[in-house]
Amino acid sequence: MAAADSPSTALRRRDLCSRGIRLAGKMRADVVDLLDTYVEQQGLDASASVAAVEGVPVAAVERWDEQTGTQRLLENLAAYRAFRALLAQMLEEQREQLGEADAGLGRALAAVLLQVSAFAYHLEELLRLESRGIPGEEEDGPPPPPRLSLFEQKLRGLGVLRELAQWAVRSARDLRQLAKPSPATGTAPGLAESP
Amino acid sequence: YERVGADVTMKCGSMDWDAAVTWTVNGTDIDESHLNGSYLILKNVGLSQSGQYACYEGSSWHLKYQTFLRVGTPPKEPVLMCRSNNYPKGFYCSWHLPTPTYIPNTFNISVVHGTKDMVCEKDATPKNRCHIRYIQLFSTVKYKVTLTVTNPLGKNFTTLTFDEFAIVKPDPPESVVAKPVPNNPRRLEVSWQNPSSWPEPESFPLKFFLRYRPLILDQWQHVELSDGTSHTITDAYAGKEYIIQVAAKDNDIGTWSDWSVAVHATPWTEEPKHLTTEAQITETTSASTSSFMAPPTTKICDKGAVVGSGAVAVCWTAGLVVAAYSVLFI
Repeated sequence: MAAADSPSTALRRRDLCSRGIRLAGKMRADVVDLLDTYVEQQGLDASASVAAVEGVPVAAVERWDEQTGTQRLLENLAAYRAFRALLAQMLEEQREQLGEADAGLGRALAAVLLQVSAFAYHLEELLRLESRGIPGEEEDGPPPPPRLSLFEQKLRGLGVLRELAQWAVRSARDLRQLAKPSPATGTAPGLAESP
Repeated sequence: YERVGADVTMKCGSMDWDAAVTWTVNGTDIDESHLNGSYLILKNVGLSQSGQYACYEGSSWHLKYQTFLRVGTPPKEPVLMCRSNNYPKGFYCSWHLPTPTYIPNTFNISVVHGTKDMVCEKDATPKNRCHIRYIQLFSTVKYKVTLTVTNPLGKNFTTLTFDEFAIVKPDPPESVVAKPVPNNPRRLEVSWQNPSSWPEPESFPLKFFLRYRPLILDQWQHVELSDGTSHTITDAYAGKEYIIQVAAKDNDIGTWSDWSVAVHATPWTEEPKHLTTEAQITETTSASTSSFMAPPTTKICDKGAVVGSGAVAVCWTAGLVVAAYSVLFI
């Protein structure tokens, strides 16, 4: 990676970061609303503890403050790509279960899916700025999980939305870290390759 | 240690029941009516009966037995509170007993995050407080804090369960300053600083809530500010003293801080001008009929007295204003 950013790169990064932060904020607000609707319409208990579901990216992280910028971008990208697939699956299941009866929930899910895709794109742009290769998306992905019962599907959906809400908060923080100008070189801190 | 209300029987060491003894409490003899043989009987003990009890052999006055009686109560359920005012560094928990026990108590606190045990380090001051550093951030797994209080007469406990975001509550903003704006009778400039306990305001920015009202009114005005640490109030009532407070909250998570210390400020009002002789005479006649809002000085260009609250009177020449007053009030 180049030692110093060109001014235009720094500007573009700052622009992408601030847009991303706003998008993450909106996404979180929408996911929180969606969670309320989901819990109600699926007849779930809002305080139910959902064990970590396989395939759902967990937002919890140790030593978050020590992460490099590249790490942040890559982890975020992997997460949102996974959420894109998970939300698409939820939409599919939802249509199967309820058909047209629950158009409101379906629309809300679709809206969040759109925001997740947009955010993933933002992250890819940021990675491109760093002249980082964007990790390709696996063609086949992991084998499709075994068919879950209806109740298990609902619980899984709850887990997905909860983790997505956490991720939205984390992503805003990650982007703020990225947007901080580094005092020495003028590049954002932590974007340099770690030795 | 004995419970309030209990019946206490004290034996005089190895003395027989029918031995002649004298009991004292804190050096004062105890009346024989409290004795059953050589046993001291205290019924329904109260807090005032705590003290040093001693038993002496009748004639020789040898000390046969001595004990310190402490009367107290077993602990009631303690009150526990946990809060993060320094997110994302960690959080603290503090506790107290709703009623005193009058005897020494030991507190034991345990913090569990999912399956992981965490250590809450006790603070030197204040004593009933401990703090803990976050190992993970952005976790959906809840924290469970259990506080056990034990004393010689019993024990009790309470549990608190919460998630990482819910307990985030910053300290109130600091150094709130409100100043009038020169030549602007309806403005007040307010500025403040992030609470010093908030470690990373750039990555974890705070948003603010300002409230203000003139001292003479009860209704607050509110303004929410998503960034910046200053704001100009533009609708202040001219000449009125205001009380102003600010609160803070993390932009995304948690709850609002308590209100800051209140500051007082009055918007700028014009200095009294030099009056001509003619204006002075006419002004004295109309001064007594000015509205209640007129400030005590006899200013010619008195904005407070003109046309109701908040209106900005343009200062014409002294003569014109006085003429208008004369027309209105005479």
